[in-house]
Amino acid sequence: MARTKGYPEELDKKLRDTRLYNEDSNPEFTKTVEKISMTIPHMCYQCGTCTASCPSAPRSSYRIRKFVRRALLGLEEEALTDPDLWLCTTCYSCTDRCPRDIAPTDVIMAMRNLAARRDIVPVNFLKTVQAIYSSGHGVPNNDVNRAARMKLGLPADPPTTHGFPEYIKGIQTIIDHYKLKERADKIIKEREG
Amino acid sequence: MHEYAFYLGCIAPNRYPGSESASYKTAEKLGIKLLDLQGASCCPAPGAFGSIDLNIWYAMAARNLCLAEQMGKDIALICNGCYKSIWEVNHKLKHNDELRDGVNEVLKEIDMEYKGSIDVWHLAELFYDPEIVGVDKIRESVTVPLTGTRIAVHYGCHLMKPKKERHFGTTEHPTWIEEMVGALGATPVEYRNKMLCCGAGGGVRGYDLVHSLDITNEKMINLQEVGVDALTEVCPFCQLQFDRGQIEIQEKFGVRYDLPVLHYCELLGLAQGMSPQELALDLHAISCEPFLEKVL
Repeated sequence: MARTKGYPEELDKKLRDTRLYNEDSNPEFTKTVEKISMTIPHMCYQCGTCTASCPSAPRSSYRIRKFVRRALLGLEEEALTDPDLWLCTTCYSCTDRCPRDIAPTDVIMAMRNLAARRDIVPVNFLKTVQAIYSSGHGVPNNDVNRAARMKLGLPADPPTTHGFPEYIKGIQTIIDHYKLKERADKIIKEREG
Repeated sequence: MHEYAFYLGCIAPNRYPGSESASYKTAEKLGIKLLDLQGASCCPAPGAFGSIDLNIWYAMAARNLCLAEQMGKDIALICNGCYKSIWEVNHKLKHNDELRDGVNEVLKEIDMEYKGSIDVWHLAELFYDPEIVGVDKIRESVTVPLTGTRIAVHYGCHLMKPKKERHFGTTEHPTWIEEMVGALGATPVEYRNKMLCCGAGGGVRGYDLVHSLDITNEKMINLQEVGVDALTEVCPFCQLQFDRGQIEIQEKFGVRYDLPVLHYCELLGLAQGMSPQELALDLHAISCEPFLEKVL
């Protein structure tokens, strides 16, 4: 809720969605992010070295500094529902340059994990899960490549789960332990029919 | 002969098998035998998979580590993305008991146990390490020197970063891969913002292709400015982003570069006398012909 006493009504309405107050904060969020990420966003003094080092920043509204601030202030909704969360290429330039020894990249990874728990996750991530579940590979083999491999004197399928499919069961057991395949199938069906 | 379990990953064997083939052959000439790691899976992809649930990422990577532990061999691999998963999970599990116990709880269901008994290496770092191979030995192995070619290096992100967890020193301006390029007789070329990401990682290539290609395009512009005959890297995912990415950049942005992109193992293979056919260079989206004409 905005606190804009005596402000023009129209502006007040607009600000209602953009201003944040103590009651919007969930202190538990800070702790959860720190636990998953194993890093210390609460040490951030907002110098902006991270955003300045970020390859995604110059070409989008994604601001890593903002996400670290959200972690520190417990602004869970703002962090997890912002689609820019998925624009980090995880290049770790911010992490290497942070003067406070924070790993902002890992803060993003933790937030993505928390968003995914609420099914806020782009489908391309879930499709990788499906591919790995069925073949063991995120990028599986194909016929053109099989022919090329044979020409090189390599087996048509590499000696991975492709060549030894009996190993796929173990992978499925791990993924099923976390019920991830079910969830991925369900979300993809909901979004793509 | 040094022996390693060769962890293949996905993109090298399934999209650029020439890099796989080159790895076996070039390594063997340098005294490294790469053994099959049977039943290995995707590392799994640190960005795409790790973003959903890091715990599953730890467990899945640990399964791959267990396979090598059962062989009693250290792992060698040729992809930065795989390095992030396999090296980093190994490192984390070795130093975090709580994490290791959690992972082993899950691995019990498939009769496996992570012990922490092996190490993980990128083949490029083994090539550079004078105790294993070293630049001099690389130079001695060259039969077709790449003299007169200008080659730029893309280091990629997940091999050396984050630097405080790794052991490569500076990530602002490394030059060790340039040394290995120079050993092949080529001229290594510096360019603006060399350490910039290729743009593909973190699931961004799948999430927002144009955004990811825009980063790649920035690198291409910087490379064009200095003029190079080829770009080399040590990561098949970066290779895919630069190689197929150039076709996509052409479609989406209307600019054309035609810059050949070769994995360091492919480059080394050429310099050691392997033919373009033996390296399946015809599978590259961007023709390597202009570069090959200068070399062969």
